[in-house]
Amino acid sequence: MPELAFLPNWPPLANNLFWIGALLAVGVACGEAVRRVLRLPRITGYAAAGLALGPGGLGLIDRPVLEDLGVFADVAVGLVLFELGQRLDLAWLRRTPALALMGVAESLGAAALVFFTLHYYFDLVPLAAGVAAAIAVSTSPAALMRVAADLRAEGQVTERALIITAINGVLAFLALTVLIPWLHFEYRGGWLTMITHPLYLLGGSAALAVVAGWLTLRLAGLIGKSPERQFIAVIAMVVMTVGIAIALKCSVLLALLGMGALVRNADREHHLVVVDSGNAGQLFYVCLFVISGASLDLALLATAGAAGLAFVLVRFAGKAVGVLALAPLVGLEWRKGVLLATALAPMSGLAVVLVHQTAALYPEIRASVAPVVLAAVVILELAGPVATQFALRRAGEAEEGA
Amino acid sequence: MILEFKRSEPLSLGVELELQLVNTRDWNLTRGASDLLAAVKKAKHPGEIKPEITESMIEISTGICRGYADVHAELVALREVLSAAAARLNLGIAGGGTHPFQKWSERRIYDTPRFKHVSELYGYLAKQFTVFGQHVHIGVRSGDEAVRLAQGLARYTPHFIALSASSPFSLGVDTQFDSSRLNVVNAFPLAGIMPTVGDWQDFEHYFDSMRAYGIVESMKDFYWDIRPKPEYGTVEIRVFDTPLAVDRAAQLAAYAQALAAALTEDRAWRPDARLPLVYSYNRFQACRFGFAATLVDPATQQHAALAEEVVATIGRVMPYAERTGGGAALAALMEMATARTNDARMLRDVLEQRGGLPDVVRFACAQWRGS
Repeated sequence: MPELAFLPNWPPLANNLFWIGALLAVGVACGEAVRRVLRLPRITGYAAAGLALGPGGLGLIDRPVLEDLGVFADVAVGLVLFELGQRLDLAWLRRTPALALMGVAESLGAAALVFFTLHYYFDLVPLAAGVAAAIAVSTSPAALMRVAADLRAEGQVTERALIITAINGVLAFLALTVLIPWLHFEYRGGWLTMITHPLYLLGGSAALAVVAGWLTLRLAGLIGKSPERQFIAVIAMVVMTVGIAIALKCSVLLALLGMGALVRNADREHHLVVVDSGNAGQLFYVCLFVISGASLDLALLATAGAAGLAFVLVRFAGKAVGVLALAPLVGLEWRKGVLLATALAPMSGLAVVLVHQTAALYPEIRASVAPVVLAAVVILELAGPVATQFALRRAGEAEEGA
Repeated sequence: MILEFKRSEPLSLGVELELQLVNTRDWNLTRGASDLLAAVKKAKHPGEIKPEITESMIEISTGICRGYADVHAELVALREVLSAAAARLNLGIAGGGTHPFQKWSERRIYDTPRFKHVSELYGYLAKQFTVFGQHVHIGVRSGDEAVRLAQGLARYTPHFIALSASSPFSLGVDTQFDSSRLNVVNAFPLAGIMPTVGDWQDFEHYFDSMRAYGIVESMKDFYWDIRPKPEYGTVEIRVFDTPLAVDRAAQLAAYAQALAAALTEDRAWRPDARLPLVYSYNRFQACRFGFAATLVDPATQQHAALAEEVVATIGRVMPYAERTGGGAALAALMEMATARTNDARMLRDVLEQRGGLPDVVRFACAQWRGS
């Protein structure tokens, strides 16, 4: 054995842990810089850092590092969806059905305009255009919630944007589920698959949501009303549920949204205190946005940029029409309606996941729908949070100096 | 300068309530005043609905009322209008003198020049002043009468405190006080009891010197517990915590009105000149211990239990209350004092049963809605 074997090889090989830490450090610094210098949302800075260092930029971070970080991002996605589910206050929707209707209307508006634009102007086959339209319904929960939290925004535009984002998530899931039989048909799946697959997805995810939500409440009741310990319990249940959803090939989106909605609406004993994901939560969110940034493919802008831009614009127009049509009924003045629609602009990780899931069923999606949606995601990953921030500030709901 | 005192109908009543706006998710105070005001703009209701210094606060006030029944009816009507709007906006409205766990540093000043000015002058006190009180106005014919009535009512400050106390929690802890709200008010330079003056002319002299010193600009700069309000022609009692429900608010107004009637009509009710010596001590006792407080009588130097004194006093003013239809209201207050229970006690019981301060706020919202 050589005398100096205790020394590292030279040059030392940096391992994944080093890169994960470095990425977080750069991300968080970039977020602050972007906020202070450009007055843009921190999450835009995180995404920019990811983009700059990732495979599409300097290439300092490679796939294995991204995969390691992916665990953090999965936790973040779970937390975001769970928190969003808790925003789905059914009592509020029952009192003001017009608000639920607004969520449906702006979802339909976005889907319809995206469908027609992609089908008639960009020559996508109806099924592909349909998949893109269903994805267009979704709004990025992470972007919306993080921007609102960063600005400490509170008020009617913020609250409504959040509950509509939750409605968007449910409707996007349902729309894609409805398209599944068609996808199987195109891909020559059997009748049995066509019928049972969407049912399994819907029923399985819903059942998982109910069981996980119920267990969360039981656990919270057992622990008592300590926010610190309930936070750990919530993270534990969320991570577990994400894991089970993936293992059972159910929808993470529906399972976690449903779990959040259940604990919000079925907590008759009020066991669960609302836990602020606080400092620990931030860690996951930085990871999530850095990874989202790193996965952006700028080259798509050259190949599918026009379609992507059209997607972004008509999606916004559709959402705006839906919101404004119902604005008088929910007592929202015109100006705030426009701001609400603007706040709903972000689309990111969730859309990417939906694209990949659908592509797994029907590989042709990868060539037709994926470039358009992913190009739109490139635009909205960076511009979406800026739009949300602008809207919440203009609505007077952000804290001064935040 | 002459402070013109507007004459008004003697013993007429007006009530103002400062209310909390909370979200229905974690039950913290929320930014909701401007949205809520916009939502009730077109609704028909008696009295007024106004913004207060922070976005988490709203104030309702009745018009000029004759007695308990008027006050109660107007408050109920105002509550219904607000509750309907708040339900659409998913906001919770609650009484209570403090929010149990809000952090004052998170409050936002409502956007008007006066509020911004107050905020700059008082610094953190302005945000810390996120406390919620009930003000009762009692009409008087003249400034002289106002001075006499304000000094006479000061004797009963501890009663008002114990009957309305609803702020046991502040900044996330049990303060051990039944009314912790008044501790916040005490921080202002001109709080507590109004200085002793003989009549309205004396008061004007006092006001002029304070203005000449540059200490005050208007009557608004006096934060006294009970003060004359020349522009309304009233005496304003400000020591009440906002009760959890409108019924109690109207009952308290009826008690103040009956006391005012007794004080103006019967010389035997004239206050003892030594009251200012014991005022702060008695006031502290009532804030800290509620009905369990012990008061010092300035005339006899005897110590007496506050609860018993309230019961006895209500018995004595009952005939005056019955003239304006306030008999049942005073009977309800007497029952409270006898049982030595108040809103603060109720809130503490909820915390004990449920274990969380958010549960306390949820309970307060349900009490306010009357359900």
